[in-house]
Amino acid sequence: MREILTRLRTAGARLRSAARRTAPTDDKVATDGGTAVGERRRTALRDRLPVEWELVESSPFWLPPVVLAGFFVYGAIFWNAIISLTDWEGLSLSGADYSDLDVEMYARLLGDGAFWQATQNTIVLLVVFTLLCLVVGLLAAILIDQQIRFENTFRTIYLLPMSLSFVVTATMWAWMYNARNGVINTFLRLLNLEGLLVTLLKPEAINATVLQWLSWNTTALPAVIFALLWQFSGYAMVVFLAGLRAIPTEHYEAARVDGASTVRMYMRVIVPQLRASAVSASVVLMVFALKAFDFIFALRGDQPGANLDILATMMYREAFTGGNEWAYGSAIAIVLFVLALLIIAPYLYSEYRRGEL
Amino acid sequence: MAQLTLDDITKIFYDDDEGEIRAVDSVSVDIEDGEFLCVVGPSGCGKSTTLRMIAGLEDVTSGEIRLGDRVINDQPPAQRDVAMVFQSYALYPHMTIRRNMAFGLEQSTDLPKDEIRERVDDAAQLLGIDDLIDRKPGELSGGQQQRVALGRAIVRDPEVFLMDEPLANLDAKLRADMRTELQHLQEDLDVTTVYVTHDQTEAMTMSDRIAILNDGKLQQAATPLECYHEPNNRFVAGFVGEPAMNFFEVTREGETLVAGDFEYPLSASVADTLGAETDLTLGVRPEDVELVAEPGSDHDYDAVVDVVEPRGNENTVHLHFEAGDHESFIATVEGMRTVAAGDAVTVRFPEEAIHVFDGATGEAIRNRDMDTVEQIESAV
Amino acid sequence: MSTSTGSPLSTLREMGARRIGLYLVLLAGIVFYLIPVETAVATMFKTQQAFTATAPYVPALGEGFSVSSAIRAWETLRPGLVDSMLMAIPATILSALFGSLAAYGLTTIDWRGQVAVVVLIIAGIFIPYQAVLVPLTTFWFQIWPGLVTGFVNTVFGFVTGGNWAYPRSGNVQLIQLTITHAAYGIPICTLLFRSYYQAISDEMIEAARLDGATAFSIYKNIIFPLSLPMFAVTLIYQFTQVYNDLLFALVLLNDPNTQVATQRLVRLTGGVQQDFTLTMAGAVIAALPTLLVYIFFGEQFAKGVAE
Repeated sequence: MREILTRLRTAGARLRSAARRTAPTDDKVATDGGTAVGERRRTALRDRLPVEWELVESSPFWLPPVVLAGFFVYGAIFWNAIISLTDWEGLSLSGADYSDLDVEMYARLLGDGAFWQATQNTIVLLVVFTLLCLVVGLLAAILIDQQIRFENTFRTIYLLPMSLSFVVTATMWAWMYNARNGVINTFLRLLNLEGLLVTLLKPEAINATVLQWLSWNTTALPAVIFALLWQFSGYAMVVFLAGLRAIPTEHYEAARVDGASTVRMYMRVIVPQLRASAVSASVVLMVFALKAFDFIFALRGDQPGANLDILATMMYREAFTGGNEWAYGSAIAIVLFVLALLIIAPYLYSEYRRGEL
Repeated sequence: MAQLTLDDITKIFYDDDEGEIRAVDSVSVDIEDGEFLCVVGPSGCGKSTTLRMIAGLEDVTSGEIRLGDRVINDQPPAQRDVAMVFQSYALYPHMTIRRNMAFGLEQSTDLPKDEIRERVDDAAQLLGIDDLIDRKPGELSGGQQQRVALGRAIVRDPEVFLMDEPLANLDAKLRADMRTELQHLQEDLDVTTVYVTHDQTEAMTMSDRIAILNDGKLQQAATPLECYHEPNNRFVAGFVGEPAMNFFEVTREGETLVAGDFEYPLSASVADTLGAETDLTLGVRPEDVELVAEPGSDHDYDAVVDVVEPRGNENTVHLHFEAGDHESFIATVEGMRTVAAGDAVTVRFPEEAIHVFDGATGEAIRNRDMDTVEQIESAV
Repeated sequence: MSTSTGSPLSTLREMGARRIGLYLVLLAGIVFYLIPVETAVATMFKTQQAFTATAPYVPALGEGFSVSSAIRAWETLRPGLVDSMLMAIPATILSALFGSLAAYGLTTIDWRGQVAVVVLIIAGIFIPYQAVLVPLTTFWFQIWPGLVTGFVNTVFGFVTGGNWAYPRSGNVQLIQLTITHAAYGIPICTLLFRSYYQAISDEMIEAARLDGATAFSIYKNIIFPLSLPMFAVTLIYQFTQVYNDLLFALVLLNDPNTQVATQRLVRLTGGVQQDFTLTMAGAVIAALPTLLVYIFFGEQFAKGVAE
């Protein structure tokens, strides 16, 4: 034991000499030694920095990705905002004239009936889709949280649609909603409900005997919302499930001891605690809804018709097809961006205030 | 071999909501070569910040930290020749014990591989963890992880060991064992050690000297017994010792200290040492409070027992004066003595054992007589 | 399970009934979430005759069974699947790597003001991509080729004689799409890694600094090995996102020979006369890569989603 101690303790000097960046041990070395001077310089540099040393030290790691993402995200948005102030249109990609900026495109938006229709559709989609997803997701989460067998299997299957592309789900739902022999109408026929629903839902001007879900302006948007609900309610479920799991079991037990029924317990005790989950799920779902372009484009192309046109599809149509109205498309894109900002800015701000970022 | 000097060091944090926070305020301590210094204080007193400044994990706002003759304020942690043991052990979970211990040598020296290996083996053997060396930290018990953390510090043979509550995560029994072992190890290795703890028992039993911090200020740096018997101020007096010293706010009227429920006459020799201040605090350690059979001196009072906490070898007795309930106090009496709640007893505050503090500043004006302490200690 | 054993028999029976009801509802959920997929699979293997004669969700056996639609869809989509993979795999790896590095610099190394950068990055997750489409198109089709051409002809003018032109082939467009996806994937990957790194003990990083490790060495020896599970989560989630995207491909790939799977699926379904056995085959085949990833790594995907 003594031997080991001595070995460990006597190696000190050798260790120090083996140290790569030897620090000065006396003044003489400090002034003469190259390393020490270098060390001094580094220290001096550190002191003169206008920012923290850690910022400099960490910048090789975060700066390249932040610059890359910043260029593509914020650089592009800024540029897009500028383009929206020009009158740029036509096939040439170099045709933007930045010398004469005005808000003409925005004025034109205000007078464009298609824009208001698309805005209305976007907001209806956003709100109804998000609310339905939250309700369905919450119910699914509560059911799955009942200590059931095969929990993982259920959860995996409920979440499965989310792994699919919008293009795939749009294709599948086009078939689900097919008027002649899609699954939905086949079911309704089995239940003898089709005739009733046709009379209820059919737009006045149309004479039809089968339900044309995606064509009728009364049903097209609800049908799309339902399909999106199918795809994303699993996401809300996962978020709520995580929220439920974070609630201490004592809360359930306390409510039980107090004699609350299951329904009351959830309404009074559990659900109010899921506020944070609901908020974060809502934000993500709304953003998904704003991005529903892929779904509608896959379903209907760039001319989805007034009843399914959302700002995202309108923007694409104006900018990338027909007359290539770049500036007009950019203006629509800015409106869409502001909508998104209205949703996420308060969310990010509150997260920041709570120190969650 | 070098002594570690903290010269007037101050750390100021800036907080967006609260502005300036003076976490450490003009602290100066010399830590001798090979000395074991415990830094104690309540949570938030700045003890961890002090340690982290020595380690180089926090910048020093002002003042100097010297190791020997060399100022280490601006040196990066790895160049300071210090090693730190953390409360959470901070082992690298994905590396074997061997790599955990070798990592520092690999990173900071050009030592050849086999030499590193040898040093790691030596340290592991010294700590009795040589058979665990190829496992991962997750497979080890808390005590074993603690040893690895120590080993990681030892292999680097630093000038200074810094330990931040290294035993706090262990259960009581293991903690007591490790306390002894750590003490032996430090003696054997003879490395200057700064040990932060909030546990005053740990500080009292392990260290050569204790530095007591409160609100970022150094209250006293002295041997454990000095802190116990000759505290600089009321804070130290109250912090060291368990149960804590009894304090009574008193007013001096001539040669008498007047409290809410009792009056304490002073002998002329004691009264002379107190100076002119009349607003005072009287302090008596619970272990100095005597329960006597009959009132026999000026310092005997009738009291009533409120609660008795038996501890086996002794009882902690909570009391109040029969004369009123302005003040309550604690006495420690031997375990065989039978007192029960509600008992009327006579207590004595021996004059040689009293401490007197300035009522406003808390500064010690008079500490207990040390002659009697020596008598007691030689008697034990 | 959680039923209390001391209850009277009737309560137990009632609990049993409730349990059965619960499982019935859960099973109905499975039917709801799976029927579109099941119908698609059933439909893709039908002959035209079987398609009209049977209910959509009933699989055809024997005579009605046919793989001809599946084969046709496979042949249409195959080049798209290859292009999708060539694009999505490098884009995903780049995003994850960049995200991990950014999160390390913005989380593990602590400095004042980093939250502002984090906020900007996280906000980048939520922007609707329409807001960048026009500049993105202009950049990749106009600015970037111009810059590169000018640079090459100036610096290597003695070789090119000033006549070099930026290649505008489908493959180059695919690379451009890859870089685009990599860049827009950085925010979400940074967020995923950041929440993971926040859980890593500060004391361990400090211990490594005391051990003499540099910022890079800490990343290489400690952070990177510890974040391998998170890499799995991020790669799986981000691969799904990139592979599933249509919008960027739509505006950045205009060579009919270089189109990703989602684009080809849209073209397949875009015909006037819809042949559902063919479109369903296309949908299932296009979904196969992400479906397989999901089936094998569902746990990691769920984790990525939950963030």
